Amino acid sequence: MSKLKGCDLPEDLYYFIDKHIWAKPMQGNVIRVGMNTVAGKLSGGKLNAVTAKTKNIGKEIPKGKSLATVESSKYVGPVPAPVTGTLVKVNEKLDADPNLAISDPYGEGWIAELEASAWDQERSELVTGAEGLETYKAKLEAENISCE
Amino acid sequence: MDEDKVMVVMTSGPDTPRRCATPFFMATLAAAMDYEVTMFFTIDGTLLLKKGLAETIYPKEGGKSAGEFLQEALEAGVKMTACTASMELHDLTQEDLIENVKMVGGASMWQMAEECKTVLSF
Repeated sequence: MSKLKGCDLPEDLYYFIDKHIWAKPMQGNVIRVGMNTVAGKLSGGKLNAVTAKTKNIGKEIPKGKSLATVESSKYVGPVPAPVTGTLVKVNEKLDADPNLAISDPYGEGWIAELEASAWDQERSELVTGAEGLETYKAKLEAENISCE
Repeated sequence: MDEDKVMVVMTSGPDTPRRCATPFFMATLAAAMDYEVTMFFTIDGTLLLKKGLAETIYPKEGGKSAGEFLQEALEAGVKMTACTASMELHDLTQEDLIENVKMVGGASMWQMAEECKTVLSF
């Protein structure tokens, strides 16, 4: 686990750094998506709700469009799709415990799974690995974001 | 009717601070769900669009001001419209209001409402 300014960011994940979303290739073209620790920090603490648009299951969501929404006492905002894909599954555990999305963001707190439409093309727009995290670090420093 | 359009009607104002957060929150949330959101301010709601006024209203003591809720809604892309008749009620002119507010008549409100999938009134 790499730490950037106190934010845990595993090197093996892909990041949509504009929106602080992680993406992880699973089997086939399935991409698991969640909020990263930076998003958790920006949301201001305990989440009251994480709500996926379940009516979108089976529909293609363009990159950047909303997969789900996050509500806390300090923040309300979207969880955008990091790549274009068909929404195949949402994490039902978040109904009972929405805070899992930030207390265990890379494990039980994943938010949704997409069947990516063009992963091989769109993955290049995400950052990953040591080099990608350097890019992310520069963004956090430029925007004065810290998890410490 | 457009599937992606929703509208929030806001009638509460400075006399009822506790009613001045949720309408903005719900509008911001709808924008986060990729709906095209319009807020329509009428009766006392219009006063919240007066420059500097919403910043003095605290729905919860020690919490965020109505101005912060309003700003978050604007940043999320919520369109703000003010009822011309309520402007007259409060002796307001366009110059008294914050930027990016469109003044509309009651008939426009009806047309906007007809185009929306959902109209939520506070």
